Amino acid sequence: MSARREVIPPSDAASRSGQPASMAVRGGDFLFVSGLTAIDLQSGQRMPGTTASETRQILTNLRQLLEAAGSSLDKVVKVNVLLHSMLEAPNMNDVYVRFFPDPPPARTVCGARLPDGVKVIIECTALA
Amino acid sequence: MREVIAAPHPGLDLRQHYGHHQSPAIRAGGLIFCSGMLPVDPETGERRHGTLTSEAHVILGNLKLLLESAGSSLDRLVQVHALIYDSIEYDVLNRVYRQYVANGPPARTVWTAQIEAGFKIQLDVVAAA
Amino acid sequence: MNEKLSRSAIQPKNPLLNASRVGNLPHVPGIRVGDYIFLSGMVPVDPQTGERSHVPIAEQVRITLSNMRHMLESAGSSLERVVRVHVVLADISHMAEMDRVYREFFPIDPPARTAWSMQLRFGNGCEIECVALAG
Repeated sequence: MSARREVIPPSDAASRSGQPASMAVRGGDFLFVSGLTAIDLQSGQRMPGTTASETRQILTNLRQLLEAAGSSLDKVVKVNVLLHSMLEAPNMNDVYVRFFPDPPPARTVCGARLPDGVKVIIECTALA
Repeated sequence: MREVIAAPHPGLDLRQHYGHHQSPAIRAGGLIFCSGMLPVDPETGERRHGTLTSEAHVILGNLKLLLESAGSSLDRLVQVHALIYDSIEYDVLNRVYRQYVANGPPARTVWTAQIEAGFKIQLDVVAAA
Repeated sequence: MNEKLSRSAIQPKNPLLNASRVGNLPHVPGIRVGDYIFLSGMVPVDPQTGERSHVPIAEQVRITLSNMRHMLESAGSSLERVVRVHVVLADISHMAEMDRVYREFFPIDPPARTAWSMQLRFGNGCEIECVALAG
C-alpha cells in the first residue's frame, strides 16, 4: 500500500507567500516543511530584520505551523539553515537554541545567496 | 518516535565543542538524519583543515563511525548533499568520495556553499537505519 | 521500527538522463527506501540528445522538471507524489521566471519547497532535486 500524501494548509490564508509551494506536506511518517523566511503569518508580509530577528520570527512561525499540523518542535528530526553569510551563524544559533528543546534535531548550516535580501531560510523535516 | 544518536566518539559532539545546537544524528521512520558532518578530529573535536581531499577523508571516516555506531553504514546511505566551497573542486570531490561509496552509491546533489570555519567540504547525509 | 528498510537504485527509462552512468559519477539517479524516493540533483539535459541545454532559464527549468517527471515515472511514482523540492539557481534574479514554469508542473497542492542560489557547474542555470513518495 502506498503512503498517503497530504498538504498542510496554512492556518491563515494570508500566510501563503504567493509562491507555488505548500508550507508543509505530510508524506509517510514525516512532515516536510518548506524553507521558511521571516514573514508575519497573519498578513503574509515580509519582516526583514537582523539574522537574529528573522530567525526568531521564522521559528515562532514554525512552532505554530507544526502544532497546527499535529506535530511540534520536539518532533523535528532534521533542520537545514541557509544563511546569507556564515558570519551570522552564531547570531542565528543564539536564537535557535531557545526554540529547540533538548535533545535538539540534527542540523546543517551553510551560506548561500538568498532571495529578496532575506538573511536566513530555515527548512525542516518532522515526524508527523 | 525519534531517537537521538549520540556521538560515538567525543570529538563528534559538536554541541559540546562548538556550541552548535544539534544532535549528531536522529533516527526516525527507519531513516537516520545526520547533522552536517565536518572535518573535525573524532577524538578531540579539533578542526582538521586541509585540502578538500584530506577534509573529505576525515568527514567520511567520521560518518562511518557515526553510522556504524547506530547500526547502519556508509553502504546504507540514501541521500547526500555534498557541500563544497568552490565547484572547481568537483572532480577532486568525486575522486575521494567514490572510494567510500563503491558498494552502491546513494543519490547525491553537490552544492557550492559557504561552509563554516573556512572548511572546504561538509557532508549532509541521510541513511537507512 | 525493528525491520531494516532495504534500499534500491532507480534508473530512468531514458538512458540519456542517467547522469550517473553517462558521466561515470559516484551516485545513482535516485534511491528508493521504504516509502520514499530520493532523487539526485537534476540539471537541464536535453532528453533527445543527452547534451546540456544553455537555453533561457524558463526553458532550462522546463527541461529539468520534465526530466524529473520522467525519472519519477520510471520509478513508478509521479510529480503528484513529490513532497519536497530543492531548487538551486545560478542567478537569484531568475526566481520569478523559475516560479512561472514551476507552477505548470505543480499546479495543485504543490510540494514543500526551498529555493535559493549558488554557483552551479557547467553553466547550468538550475539544479533541482526532490523527495517523493514511492508509487
